[in-house]
Amino acid sequence: MREGTAMNELLTGAITGILFGFLMQKAQVIRYDRQLAALRFKDMTIVKFMLTTTLVAMVGIYLLFDLGLVKLSVKPLILGGNVLGGLIFGIGWGIVGYCPATAMGALGEGRYDSVFGLLGMILGAGIYAEAYPLMKATVLTWGDFGKITLPGVLGINHWIVIVILVAVFIALFRWFEKKGL
Amino acid sequence: MNVLREKMWSPYVAGALAGLLLVLSVLVTGKFFGASTTFVRAANYVEQAVAPEKVAGMEYFIKEKAKIDWQFLFVVGVLFGALASAWLSKEKKAVAVPPMWEGRFGASRVRRGVAAFLGGVVLMFGARLADG
Repeated sequence: MREGTAMNELLTGAITGILFGFLMQKAQVIRYDRQLAALRFKDMTIVKFMLTTTLVAMVGIYLLFDLGLVKLSVKPLILGGNVLGGLIFGIGWGIVGYCPATAMGALGEGRYDSVFGLLGMILGAGIYAEAYPLMKATVLTWGDFGKITLPGVLGINHWIVIVILVAVFIALFRWFEKKGL
Repeated sequence: MNVLREKMWSPYVAGALAGLLLVLSVLVTGKFFGASTTFVRAANYVEQAVAPEKVAGMEYFIKEKAKIDWQFLFVVGVLFGALASAWLSKEKKAVAVPPMWEGRFGASRVRRGVAAFLGGVVLMFGARLADG
């Protein structure tokens, strides 16, 4: 990669991160209390934020994809890794109360218990690197379906899936507001 | 710019703006948002300082090469963006123990710090296993 391109990449990364961190702080989603309140079904602020982001990005990115302007980034479906990893992640998240990006945001806000969370996350990544050869030979071979998508598996146009998901998200938002969550 | 000083924006508005930011990011640079790979790289850098010959042979560190890249700066940027927002709305204050945690587990900073550390270890192991 040319040096100019690499510098641009670092610059756009920093700008994008700053804007994203700004928006997360304004929505108050980088707080332990908000994240735990969502896990306890008491306050759905972070779920509203995440699903609105998903909704807008899903529509926007597929529009650009149809116009041939962007490429999708599809992760493989590996049931062993996704399910077991998700369960383990959930236990850790319920204890630390920050996900990786929000832990950085929380530190920016002055919530410095997140420093210990961040250090733990670095250690956790190191432990995973040690365990990777074992995981690759076991868990990551269980239920490996490769890079599949919902429209691909169903054999239908992606806009049908998008419209259904948008309707589900909006119904969920209306229910949150009705229940005062 | 009074709106920038407001304590809280609707999560729907902030979420929609974050969605637009993601669309723009994918269009301009081809980058999707992510954070956890950066923690693998950070662990790699730490271990390189301690045991470089061991790290050189580790499959996962070879797979996720250590580099300061787009995502690394994205993750650092989040800290400064949150700092700027909190500063503008005068919410920048040191909090060692989250209020909800304190209500259930008490005001001990050590207990909160240890739990946050262990929670972080478990969380990141799960995140990497799920490839998320």
